[in-house]
Amino acid sequence: MKLTVNGTEHEVDVEPEMPLLWVLRDELNIKGPKYGCGIAQCGACTVHVDGMAVRSCQLPVGDLEGGVTTIEGLGTPERLHAVQAAWVAHQVAQCGYCQSGQIMQAAALLDLNPEPSDAEIDAVMSGNLCRCGTYPRIRAAIHDAAQKLSEA
Amino acid sequence: MQKSVVILAAVSIAGAALAEGALTLPEEGSISRADGQAAFERIYEVVTHPRCANCHVGEDNIPMWSGPSYGEARPHGMHINAGESRIGAEFLPCQTCHVTSDDFDTAPHAAPRFGIAWQLAPVEFEWFGKSRAEICAQLKDPERNGGRDWRGLVEHLEHDASLNGPVAWGWSPGGDRDPAPRTLEEHVEDMALWGAAGQPCPTD
Repeated sequence: MKLTVNGTEHEVDVEPEMPLLWVLRDELNIKGPKYGCGIAQCGACTVHVDGMAVRSCQLPVGDLEGGVTTIEGLGTPERLHAVQAAWVAHQVAQCGYCQSGQIMQAAALLDLNPEPSDAEIDAVMSGNLCRCGTYPRIRAAIHDAAQKLSEA
Repeated sequence: MQKSVVILAAVSIAGAALAEGALTLPEEGSISRADGQAAFERIYEVVTHPRCANCHVGEDNIPMWSGPSYGEARPHGMHINAGESRIGAEFLPCQTCHVTSDDFDTAPHAAPRFGIAWQLAPVEFEWFGKSRAEICAQLKDPERNGGRDWRGLVEHLEHDASLNGPVAWGWSPGGDRDPAPRTLEEHVEDMALWGAAGQPCPTD
């Protein structure tokens, strides 16, 4: 079957039941999305499908409809996405394992809600766990990115 | 007795889907009030079952969780609020975790899924924690049931099930989730029996 990831079309020979996360990491060697729990409880595997945040561990690849964006396709080292830039500015990451999912979820959040309140950030980001407890910095970085995007 | 008035031609596929128009409806008035009330009692058991009621919640827009490891029903974890849109558009879309798939087979504690976009039922269809009388009144009120008469309710169940929607999923929920009582086919049949009996309610 064919799928488009970060603008590039790929052909993979896999069972349709295989979760998208497995296809990304094991078939396409795209290792940004992380395996955390495998049951949509942690958010580490979050990618975008046509712009919407999706837990890639939950989506059978045969049910994929739309283009996939992973953290590798969100920005580039030369031209970071506003959320990535804010993450660097606020030094959000500690161990970093959950951060790819956090950033993808945060970018999707700002797509739907360009000026979120603290309560709205908490409501959206509570499905993304961070065992290092970087939540206050995540929240600050999202506000910062919202500000930068509104000025762009 | 029910089988003498209703002929079912159920089709069984992956999601226990029911063919639309599979049910030959009984004549209106051909079912006794007592049989209609008995059918409503079975409908009530279905719609208040956690597989159905947990997403038929009120205006706080917060779905419920329950099951073997949860004890009493409690609000969905992760601060989930589906918003007035009932699809999570204001916060986190339900479909971020509950992806759309005809394959209902998910692991215990994974996000369940069905063949249409995961969502809360419209707020007018509130069942969670509601009494027999309240649910009966809602089910037969076109202002609060999507403008349906009893035949429309039967068609709604058959149509949703044909899409592998929540009506089909309720009896095949995957993981270790308890399915709704009896079978989809019996529930559709009960909706027809209750309707043909004049939709009698417990307090009528």
